[in-house]
Amino acid sequence: MAIKFERVSFQYTSMDNKGYLALADINLSINKTGEFITLIGETGSGKSTLAQHMNALLQPTEGRVHIFGITVDDKTKKQRKIKLNPIRKQVGLVFQFPEYQLFEETVEKDIMFGPKNFGVSTEEAAKRAEKMIEVVGLDASYLKRSPFNLSGGEKKRVSIAGILAMEPEILILDEPTSGLDPIGRNALLDVFYNIHTELDKTVIIITHDMNTVYEYAKRVMVMREGVLVYDGDPVALFSKSNIDRWNLDVPDILGLTRDLEAKFDYKFTEPPRSRKALFKALEGMLK
Amino acid sequence: MKNIVIGRYIPGNSFLYSLDPRTKILALLILMIGVFVIDHIMHMVYAIAIIFLVLLLGKISIKRIYLGLRPLLFLLIFTFTFQIIFNRHGELLFEETLYYSPVSIALAAAIGIFWFFTKRFIKFRLLYFLMTLLAIGTVLSLTLFPGTFATGRFAVYEEGLFMALFIMLRLIIIVTLSTMLTMTTKPTDLNLGLEQILAPLKILRINAEEIAMIISISLRYIPTLLDEANKIMLAQASRGVDFEEGKMKEKVVQIVSLLVPMFIISFKRSDDLANAMEARSFAPGRPRTRLHVLTWKRLDSCVLALSFLLLVTAILSRVLL
Repeated sequence: MAIKFERVSFQYTSMDNKGYLALADINLSINKTGEFITLIGETGSGKSTLAQHMNALLQPTEGRVHIFGITVDDKTKKQRKIKLNPIRKQVGLVFQFPEYQLFEETVEKDIMFGPKNFGVSTEEAAKRAEKMIEVVGLDASYLKRSPFNLSGGEKKRVSIAGILAMEPEILILDEPTSGLDPIGRNALLDVFYNIHTELDKTVIIITHDMNTVYEYAKRVMVMREGVLVYDGDPVALFSKSNIDRWNLDVPDILGLTRDLEAKFDYKFTEPPRSRKALFKALEGMLK
Repeated sequence: MKNIVIGRYIPGNSFLYSLDPRTKILALLILMIGVFVIDHIMHMVYAIAIIFLVLLLGKISIKRIYLGLRPLLFLLIFTFTFQIIFNRHGELLFEETLYYSPVSIALAAAIGIFWFFTKRFIKFRLLYFLMTLLAIGTVLSLTLFPGTFATGRFAVYEEGLFMALFIMLRLIIIVTLSTMLTMTTKPTDLNLGLEQILAPLKILRINAEEIAMIISISLRYIPTLLDEANKIMLAQASRGVDFEEGKMKEKVVQIVSLLVPMFIISFKRSDDLANAMEARSFAPGRPRTRLHVLTWKRLDSCVLALSFLLLVTAILSRVLL
């Protein structure tokens, strides 16, 4: 068990000393390998706060988080006995807005920044930068450019490459596809899916896109007002009739298959979760 | 960072809240001049008594004012000790010879170091600090230790003590007055008041409205920038920047990794703001109507007259007494 939450609550302190409960009594566990998780929920439901607990950027005000054998609770930061920094190498978190992290003169230096902080040599970091820029779908010519002259989507890719270059055990991405064009979005999602399948790493994606959830995720977590209301199989989630109470939407493919089933009075043996699978299933239906 | 008391508006209701911001700013100016006119410690004590009365009438808790004064505690103690040690006029009140020997200096330093490492566990820090000073003084005044290579003299004179108290009271009054203003006036109101008071400067070709706009925009963006800085620090922390630990060289990189995104985001933000203002046809210098119009009430005239009266009293007391 790589990450385990035990009755975790988190309260933001505000100006008037009335706390705001961002997480309420959360229990979950995440494996080191083999998981592809999507985290969904409306804005302000505590998704990002939850993600920031997974690499100890935030510490719970109640309860405990165990991350790779290190226990984090409300006293961890005060006691200063445990170094939290190594956790961030193991659990890489990509923030939603790349503007918050890009600062170096060149893209290459910026990608190298993370690995070098964790003691990777300059040569090795440069090698990783070269590799990762390709992985996120840009070419090597970008390495010498300034990160501030890139488009929004390119910045996003560079910031993702910066975390990938740290070679974390678990990768968490906060809305990695927001602000990207559809083609770029699908390409990037494939990148994450490849990281998951080829390197057998756990990937956690925060998203608003139900299609991503349905097509890629093996497991989905739904947050609602700081509470983890659902944690499990996406197919089971969307087959529930009242998911709109969590402000969720039915994925396009699922809507289409339901319509097809109703129209042709046919039952798919296994509901297709991607376009490819749907076409395959249609072949079966036409036969 | 969220516990800054100076300059923070705290909602409430009392006559101080219903006053016109212009009145409050002018009264603050008048009373401050008055405080600087006073030159006798007894008059200063009267002045602080009046301030206390206003605090009571204005339903402002003394604790809040104390919290506002706390960041200035160091300054207060510093001026106080400075005056006591270096002002040597008037009657001699207290004298003690200090003997500097290797042993006594080492002992004094040891007490100082002990204080430095234990202070965080003590609740009454100021008291503990004073006790430590007293202990150091006592150690230095003892003649027990051999090898005295120099002697010094610690003396307190009447004038020094009075001057020290006087300056301390003056500082306290000034800070209390300004805290009262900012605590009972919303930043927007304060700004509007300032703008109207500075409006006559138009003759000197100074546009008060623009200055007021600049001030209000900067005030508005302080919390936003703090929030942004926090987010940047989290984003960099997830790339292995340890803002709490690290050596000097690492510290520089850490600060750069915070400042560069900060600057870029601020420029972007100001650009967006300028566009948004222009999109709503904002043009500096054009006459504009206001959503909130300040109204001058009888209470305002009374308070202003009373402040004037206090200033006149202060001047008279200086001239006549």
